[in-house]
Amino acid sequence: MKEDDIIICRCEDVTLGTIRDLIRQGYTTLEEIKRIARCGMGPCQGKTCTPLIAKEIAAITGKDIHEIMKQNHRPPFGGVTFEEIVSGRDEE
Amino acid sequence: MIREYDVAIIGGGPAGICAAIAAGKNGLKTLLIEERTFLGGQLIKQTHRFFGSEEEHAGTRGIHIAQELKDQLESLSTIDIMTSTTALGYYEDGMLTALHDEKMIKIKPKSMIIATGAFERFLPFENNDLPGIFGAGAVQTLMNIYGIKPADKVLMIGSGNIGLIVSYQLIQAGVQVIGVVEAAAKIGGYLVHASKLRRLGVPILTRHTIKKAVGSEKVEGAVICQLNENWQEIEGTQRQLDCDAICLAVGLTPLSDILSQMGCETTYIGELGGIVPKRTADLETTKPGVFVAGDLAGIEEASAAMLEGELAGLNAVKYVNADERVNDRIHHLKDELMGLRSGPVGEKIRYGLAQLYEESVITKEKIQKHQHDITQLAFTGVPSQENIDEKLPDVQRRLKPYAVIECFQEIPCNPCVASCPFGAIYIPKDDINCPPVVDFEKCTGCRSCISGCPGLAIFVEQYHPQTGTGTISIPYEQLNRPEKGERVDLFGRNGQPLGSGLVTTVLYGQKQDKTAVITVETDIKLVNQVRSIKPLENGKRVVR
Repeated sequence: MKEDDIIICRCEDVTLGTIRDLIRQGYTTLEEIKRIARCGMGPCQGKTCTPLIAKEIAAITGKDIHEIMKQNHRPPFGGVTFEEIVSGRDEE
Repeated sequence: MIREYDVAIIGGGPAGICAAIAAGKNGLKTLLIEERTFLGGQLIKQTHRFFGSEEEHAGTRGIHIAQELKDQLESLSTIDIMTSTTALGYYEDGMLTALHDEKMIKIKPKSMIIATGAFERFLPFENNDLPGIFGAGAVQTLMNIYGIKPADKVLMIGSGNIGLIVSYQLIQAGVQVIGVVEAAAKIGGYLVHASKLRRLGVPILTRHTIKKAVGSEKVEGAVICQLNENWQEIEGTQRQLDCDAICLAVGLTPLSDILSQMGCETTYIGELGGIVPKRTADLETTKPGVFVAGDLAGIEEASAAMLEGELAGLNAVKYVNADERVNDRIHHLKDELMGLRSGPVGEKIRYGLAQLYEESVITKEKIQKHQHDITQLAFTGVPSQENIDEKLPDVQRRLKPYAVIECFQEIPCNPCVASCPFGAIYIPKDDINCPPVVDFEKCTGCRSCISGCPGLAIFVEQYHPQTGTGTISIPYEQLNRPEKGERVDLFGRNGQPLGSGLVTTVLYGQKQDKTAVITVETDIKLVNQVRSIKPLENGKRVVR
């Protein structure tokens, strides 16, 4: 097994090789990498992989980790079905 | 329906519960939201006695603290508790949504306390997705909540308090811990926890890291290697260890997502664990009326989380009701927090907090320096002979029983003081970080302190030169507890076998609270050497 095959995002099965390729192609923000590779979009919502990806970006680009880690968060924080949203409205 | 509250608290761990109690006691209409089915957060997995100040639950096991806090919560009619409820988002009009009872509900709080805690870090290494690779939290959940033995032979990665404590708990569950791997040169957690493992024969490999997990369907082994001062692998040092599980205890990251979504400013502070909210010494974020507490505000011990929880709760009371009566308690809590953080082990958190607000900077004069050189202890978990000698009384005094407190590192902890019925144990300079001292004039060797020490660092010894023997009383928390009259194997501070001894007494009452105190009689030369016992490995247990 090569280092490139190490799984970074376990929810979406994204490898270290994929992440490094993307960074080298110029995708150097968490947001861009997420949109292309889906890492951070699984059940754990990036809690495991985000720090690891940020570290890779910092190592390859020399960017400051503080800058890299800044990202937007949007609600909802968990999976919600339309049914659940609608039943909430019924409460009113 | 919009549910209106004075304060909504997100997270039902130690910080959130303490915040709810403080708010509820002071008359705020309080809502506590917890994602899981149960309250208590990580406390409910902590079977060990807590460190810290006697006043703040130290000396009590985490599981019991959780119960005490839950009882308090439930006695307050001002508090509504929603478990199995996930906060979903916060909107500009001050509305909080949550998923509760399969419905998305709306909550309008006048103030909020966010205490969502932290998330375990993960390490990238080859085959790190094999079954058998656990986070330390998962191992604790399996063992201490569900009573499931996670594996037979575990390699622990990380020597912080979590790695050390979980290793010890694994051994208690009958799991072999083949070693603790630590990338730094020094052991990360409290050294008393490291010493507990060493005397049970667990090696602690500092300046080592894991390279890969071995196995096809599940973990069958691990390849580790040595690191140089620049954290780079030293060539030719790779070796494979047999194990069926690898447990990762490599730190925690604050769970601050919800705060940044709410519009609270956050910043990256490595010393505090990652992205943390900007906040004042009163735990208020950049959004007025939104407070934080616990690991989310910076990774620290649970004792600090509980203090912060109460502090945030009281500040919410002040914010909502302009109630100034809580000021005295607020000052007191801030002093307590300062005390916990004022020693050498609080350096990282102090440095982290100093980047957030001025008040956290404790003047150099206030920080005590180690009185003794504990380098060997910090590198190996085994104290030096000089360290030990300093704790012993003169030769004449050794003819009567006396307590030896093998607590050398300055950590914020003091339950031993209260455990002594004769007032023989004191903390110098009234600084909770100072290691305790025994007044041998007052000490009767009664053994009360042994089971009271969260670090299991206290022993009672006595020399009998006329018979060439001596006795040692040690704390014992393993299964297979030896009985009076039984012969046991004896082990030293680094787990080395020292021969055998005879159990003369076993204290295992309510006072010991499952930390038995076992006294063994053996050769006089071994008195200050024996630090651990096991029922005889060869042959049957012999009870006279």
